[in-house]
Amino acid sequence: MSDWITITIDGKEIQAKPGELLVDAAARAGIHIPVFCYHPKLDPLGACRMCLVEAEGRRGKMLITACTTPVADGGVYYYESERAVDARQGTLELILINHPLDCPICDKGGECPLQDQTLEHGPGKSHFWEEKNHKAKHYPLSDLIMLDQERCIVCWRCIRYLEEWEDKPQLGLFHRGGETVIDKFPDGKLDAYTSGSIIDICPVGALTNRLARFSYRPWELEKTPSICTHCGMGCNLRIDSRTHRIRRNVARENAAVNDEWICDKGRFAMGFASHPERLQEPLARINGELRPVSWPEALDRVVRGLKRVVETHGPAAVAAIGSAKLSNEANYLLAKFMRGVVGSNNLDFREGSAVVADPRGIPSLADARDADVIVLMGCDPGEEMPVLANFLKRAVLRGGAKMIIVHPRAIELTQYAAAFINPTIGAESAAFDALTRATLDASDAIIPDWLPEVEEAAQVAGISVEDVREAARLLSQAKRPFIVYGVDYAWGYGARNLVTALTNWVVAAGHGERLGFLHSQANALGAADMGMAPDRLPGHRPLSDARARRELEARWQTEIPTQPGLSYGAMMASTPDRIRALYLMGADPVGEKPADAKALAELDFLVVQDMFLTESAKLADVVLPAASYAESRGTFTNTERRVQRAPQAVRTVGKSVADWAILMHLARRYAPDKKDAWDTPSVDAIFAEIAEVVPAYRGMSWENLGESGQQWPRDAVSLSRELRPHSGAAIPPSPDYPFRLVVGSLLWDGGTVFAATPQMAGLARQAAWLHPDDAARLGVQEGDAIEIRSRGGSIRTFAHLDPSIKPGSVFAPYSFPAAPVGNLFDDYVPRTSVAIEKVT
Amino acid sequence: MLSDTARSEIQALMGRYPQPRSAILPALYVAQREIGWLPTEAMDEIATLFGMEPMEVYAIAGFYNMLYKEPKGRYHIEICTNVPCKLRGADKMAEHLQKRLGVGFGETTEDGQFTLDHMECLGSCATGPMFFVRRSGSDWGRYYEDLTPERIDAILEDLLSGEDWPMERSPAGPYHHDHHPETNFLLARIDKPDSHTIESYLADGGYQTAPKVLAMSPQEVIDEVKKAGVRGRGGAGFPAGVKWGFIPKDLYPRYLVVNADESEPGTFKDRLIIEYDPHELLEGIICTAWAIQAHYAFIYIRGEYMFGAQRLNQAIAEAKARGFLGKHIFGTDFDLEVIVHRGAGAYICGEETALLSSLEGYRGHPRLKPPFPAVAGLYAKPTIVNNVETISHVRHVLEHGADWYRQWGTERSPGFQLICLSGQVKKPGVYEIPYGTTFRELIYDMAGGTVDDRPIKSIIPGGLSMPHILPDKLDIGIDFESLQQAGSLLGSGGVIVICEGENIVPITRRTLGFYREESCGKCSPCREGVGWMEKILKRVEAGQGTLSDLDTMERVTKYIEQQSFCPFGPAAVWGLQSTLRHFRSEFEAYILETNPDQEKPSLPARPIYRPYVGEPLENMLDD
Repeated sequence: MSDWITITIDGKEIQAKPGELLVDAAARAGIHIPVFCYHPKLDPLGACRMCLVEAEGRRGKMLITACTTPVADGGVYYYESERAVDARQGTLELILINHPLDCPICDKGGECPLQDQTLEHGPGKSHFWEEKNHKAKHYPLSDLIMLDQERCIVCWRCIRYLEEWEDKPQLGLFHRGGETVIDKFPDGKLDAYTSGSIIDICPVGALTNRLARFSYRPWELEKTPSICTHCGMGCNLRIDSRTHRIRRNVARENAAVNDEWICDKGRFAMGFASHPERLQEPLARINGELRPVSWPEALDRVVRGLKRVVETHGPAAVAAIGSAKLSNEANYLLAKFMRGVVGSNNLDFREGSAVVADPRGIPSLADARDADVIVLMGCDPGEEMPVLANFLKRAVLRGGAKMIIVHPRAIELTQYAAAFINPTIGAESAAFDALTRATLDASDAIIPDWLPEVEEAAQVAGISVEDVREAARLLSQAKRPFIVYGVDYAWGYGARNLVTALTNWVVAAGHGERLGFLHSQANALGAADMGMAPDRLPGHRPLSDARARRELEARWQTEIPTQPGLSYGAMMASTPDRIRALYLMGADPVGEKPADAKALAELDFLVVQDMFLTESAKLADVVLPAASYAESRGTFTNTERRVQRAPQAVRTVGKSVADWAILMHLARRYAPDKKDAWDTPSVDAIFAEIAEVVPAYRGMSWENLGESGQQWPRDAVSLSRELRPHSGAAIPPSPDYPFRLVVGSLLWDGGTVFAATPQMAGLARQAAWLHPDDAARLGVQEGDAIEIRSRGGSIRTFAHLDPSIKPGSVFAPYSFPAAPVGNLFDDYVPRTSVAIEKVT
Repeated sequence: MLSDTARSEIQALMGRYPQPRSAILPALYVAQREIGWLPTEAMDEIATLFGMEPMEVYAIAGFYNMLYKEPKGRYHIEICTNVPCKLRGADKMAEHLQKRLGVGFGETTEDGQFTLDHMECLGSCATGPMFFVRRSGSDWGRYYEDLTPERIDAILEDLLSGEDWPMERSPAGPYHHDHHPETNFLLARIDKPDSHTIESYLADGGYQTAPKVLAMSPQEVIDEVKKAGVRGRGGAGFPAGVKWGFIPKDLYPRYLVVNADESEPGTFKDRLIIEYDPHELLEGIICTAWAIQAHYAFIYIRGEYMFGAQRLNQAIAEAKARGFLGKHIFGTDFDLEVIVHRGAGAYICGEETALLSSLEGYRGHPRLKPPFPAVAGLYAKPTIVNNVETISHVRHVLEHGADWYRQWGTERSPGFQLICLSGQVKKPGVYEIPYGTTFRELIYDMAGGTVDDRPIKSIIPGGLSMPHILPDKLDIGIDFESLQQAGSLLGSGGVIVICEGENIVPITRRTLGFYREESCGKCSPCREGVGWMEKILKRVEAGQGTLSDLDTMERVTKYIEQQSFCPFGPAAVWGLQSTLRHFRSEFEAYILETNPDQEKPSLPARPIYRPYVGEPLENMLDD
């Protein structure tokens, strides 16, 4: 242990790391020095004076704060000395004099560091006879967080969190001395996307969760270590429930994934679990109306309906759509049911095969935190993954990382970018050609003849040559780059060319192995791993791989059809000609694109398995009520290939059943002869089967995933990366549809899961974003109703003017049911040409 | 909301500083001058100009007393009621003002002409009682000193007449000041007419030291100041030359910050130099900046010294015009910019790290040490913070040499210093005396003794923070070591004399009131404890004290003293600790007289905490 130094605390020798804080060194040795203002994830402040210990100094023993003192080799400290104990008692007595001591009705009571430390270190008696200071109580900081200034002990943790992790100093101190309070700007907002973290780190009950307060005592809570399924990051959280209702979510530490933070969507958007509109029992269409039926009857109807189509039109007339929000087990069983029981390869999910994703996701989330260069192409972590966005900001602000952003609009992270490249929409591949060429020009590599000159390509892309050269230089010189692209550039017109072009740049810079795709959906990577694709078997093995097929056939007691199935878009387009029956699991095509209602209405048979009576479910022949992820057990695979557990936290609603169980029972009824292949009576058993048939998951089991999950090895799926020509020509402008549609996600959208939490309704704001100059030309002002039209359809929404929008484009976010952008896509792809009109 | 002129003025201010955020206080002053106060809309606009979150601006404005968060009357009158003025009858004047204006403190007269407030020490203790008047929507503000009820009436009449009284006063104004027969250097010129102008300064041989110093090597300058043993006059007495030597080699840029935030009650010496001999200070700044190789010097002057800031800016303009400041000063390759930065009413900003926080455009909270400012100070660069008087001494030391300086004072406290004498003496004022001069010489020989020749009860020897000493110490020398031996400290050199007949309870209570008002709120012991001590003292004064209160105060002040974040904590309670030590029997007698049965105070009614309090508290207490 040559790197360690020795210090002495209360006469006991302790090994410590040079330069670490005394409070941390002591904790490792089992001495837990009490703290309030200190937090291991925040810069030391030294304000609360709780962690006083004595230190041997040049002028004898002196009191020091353990949270601000780096240990010195041979340092001698006294934690239990009479003076140190007395000093801590003194601090605690002072902290308590103006604290209201309303523990009996305080949400924090029972898990409150102030309570606990008072018990352990407090003087046991107060000498305070005066009137306490009065300050604001139940003061809402936002729709989500309540502040009680009297309980606050002014430790600054919340202020520092927002400054150091969010770079959004939205809370601060006001007044001074004994009147000091935490406050926000009077007309200001506390709207940082991870603002709820300050509730977790508040050492008293000053900051409380408005959606949870007064609904539990901490000691009565059932605490289930789980994960969040709102995005592809897979942040670890804990679901706290009481009487089978989720009371709150709190962050759970996973150093490799989310550190100890979660975003506000993950924390607060939990209303889906106990929503009154949740489906309570199976429904079947009887005499044209959906009516409650029993489970056996519902399943029999599904079996009969599907069999009738298979018998009449063949198994290839049946299709199924899975979900990137549902577990590996659910998606695996749906794929197994379709291929192994029905006999069809028509399998896909939204943003599934249409997206040119890297099946291995990103190399690692942890890379983001110590990267020296960050490249974001067509993804917006600020809205899609707020916790990752904070890591990236911090890498720039504290680690000196350089950020390069290539995006159709200026996103929040743009302010941290060393280079922001904003190519003409529809000509993005030219921008990457310019970057590739600039990279190769600056090296001694051979330049392929198909690559245009920098100036030429830059002109096509409408970007500056200086920016291109700067970005190319930064990435070429990077040592530990974090390079990701997202769905904005991997989906839609010319996406395949675009991804080839952006890959070329990264390959040219010598970082091909570092490039990754940032999956924005919780289990998009897992669903693909499970074979939820028309031409891929579980484990990303091609359908044409005969050996892979044989292995599965043996396991599934079946024969797998060799003809590749249809993709999501193709399924919708070929109804009812080729597709006569559709099985939707957690998918709502009509909600995404109301125009698809026509295709669904023409089906012979439609099954919808969902939590809610979605727009698609309203057209169904049978509706099967599914349990939410919190009510069932399952594994999810995040964008860095980390397979994580989400155990059941609360009981199911009504007669709803977990997705995997519905599918298992359905398969057993459909094919009683294959009972052995469907002997999977638990998630653990299904996962064991997955671990056998998906090579990358080999060796995993529910047990050994543990509380922080396991990553499947990146080399389990090989992908060659080299310079490749592409045929990416700019999409020509269309005179009738002069605007280019940019789509993307906002954290606060109007999606089902989010809308199910009514307390958050005020956060989402439906709008299409326009550049003020374009708006002026159209005679449109902020908030005006506008119509956006494409060849395919139209939506109505409201204008929001923002100078960061590229002139000539309009940004319309997904997941606002009243303005379903899917209606605008031709053949279900974004980057469409549209026209905009003011609605009068 | 802000005019284009104001916006461009703010933008220009941002350009003056190495980091634009430093211009936030000046910018808020600009907005306040224009609007009269700081509505949130104005703060919002300023935040946009600075690229900050509105919250940050709000938090800053909320820290400083001179920034108004609500509208004030046309004239804002702030009367000092701190101990030195109190000893000279400030309470009576405050009462008169309230009666005359018909409003209480914190209120505005119905006609909107006057807002009245009581104030902490404004650095005018020898001329107390006094008040400070500012006119809303302008840069006009001035002190009115040596108040009597008649004078107050006359002043109010004059203010109402709409006539502007000049901010400027006759040479050295109404200040009493005197000097020791041997040492008359720092204040030698302040009686002369126009002593503040560069012509007057040059005529007296000014700006001859700086070019000599610029010809020396920086190390030679540091060595000379080290040899002279010039000790810091801000309060801690740390040797200036030694501090300068702490700057790490090869770390640039470096900054010089002159601490002119003279706010320690009982201290008003720097103000004399600033207002009446600013070039003396500027020449000291040039010498010091050369020694530490700094190209920027900031004078952080307390916001109430509006007149001083004006004088400094005039002096800087004069010196710049002659090539003594700016680029290539005195024809050398050395550049030096001096920027006057006004504080906005926060005592804690006299603490050097808090001052740096404030100068960087943050709330004035003290910072962790280490790193010390000499290593990582302003903008995390090496920074020397020295008091105005210290830097003025430097100029004289470099003119005459270290040996000359050392002929006065003691071995460890060499030279001479400015002592601010206030309280109940016949001739309060600033005295320039060699270290080692005794209190008896100062009070009786130089200042003519006490008011009405009353016997001395107690002396606060170094500004209000310092422990009292009793008159048995009259014959000790005024120097760092002697005072330390006597159980106190020389501090900032503010000697406050309290005579027999004064009740120690209200004096102590008022002392704590000051520190409660000025605590920055960062650390728990100071934030919570100082207010607690004041609450106890108020209760004792009101006749509800018990003897156990004295034990409580003794015990709790120990915590405040030993475990606060910065020196403010100990400074806040040393006065109380020393009066408890010296005058315990007086406290006991007062308590027994006013509360003979030793009744315990009734515990205040606790509000009922409910999840939602929709109705007034009184209604809830009934059920």
